[in-house]
Amino acid sequence: MTGTLQQMLTCLWSARRIQRYLDADPAARLTPGEISRLEGHLATCEKCTRVAAEHRALHRALSLWSGGTGVDPRSVDRVRDFLAAIHDKDTA
Amino acid sequence: MGFSVVTHPRHSDDSAQGPAFRELVEPEIEVLLRVALTITNGAADAEDLVQETLLRAYRAIDRFDGRHPRAWLLTILRNTNANMHRRQRPGVIGDWELIRTARPAFGRPELPSAEDSFVHEELHADLDAAVRALDPRFRAALILVDVHDLSYSEAAAVMGVPVGTLMSRLSRARDRVRKALRSSPLTRGDLS
Repeated sequence: MTGTLQQMLTCLWSARRIQRYLDADPAARLTPGEISRLEGHLATCEKCTRVAAEHRALHRALSLWSGGTGVDPRSVDRVRDFLAAIHDKDTA
Repeated sequence: MGFSVVTHPRHSDDSAQGPAFRELVEPEIEVLLRVALTITNGAADAEDLVQETLLRAYRAIDRFDGRHPRAWLLTILRNTNANMHRRQRPGVIGDWELIRTARPAFGRPELPSAEDSFVHEELHADLDAAVRALDPRFRAALILVDVHDLSYSEAAAVMGVPVGTLMSRLSRARDRVRKALRSSPLTRGDLS
């Protein structure tokens, strides 16, 4: 009973950190201690390992649309020319 | 298309600031255009928005501390868009329809992998429905981070919210989409 409760609490603790762990974003890094604890839990908990895998797969699936807002290279060139024009106008 | 280049009078050291400004901004042009495409009505509007953003950034360069130029530019982009399109598209960020219909992965020069093709064929409809069902605020967080690959800080800058708020919305969005796809290939382990 105590073991089950402990497991539930650890799963809850892990669920709150899995996304930050996977993102490793500079604005919200986990501490080395948290990473160690989470990785230890993922090594033994099938449920949380599945959740982590789902998050990875979801990110992968969404990233397939990343070029979808397909930036036209000619548009980039025009903006680059505009940038140069700002400077040239000021220094003329 | 585009704005005429009319800049404000500046300090005497403009000639030194110009190249520095260009070095700072040029690497960010593509991401600015990409984000602009999701918050405007099309490529022409997006380009206009980015040009206006760069003009405002140039005028404000004296107040920029030099850190996190992308987040700084995205903040200006957001504010500029709010001024330019307030009446047209209030508060809509990350228009899923624009992204969904573009089908980017398959417009890339390189051939899609077998996995990419699988995602496109089998998962697309479910994923589309799940993302579409999200609250617009949650959807915006998801699109900016997972589709556009912005950092938490950058996405927060675009949305005009604190990083903590962005993280909360992102987390909820991902959890809702993940749970909505419980019976899809995404969660059967086929893609992991």
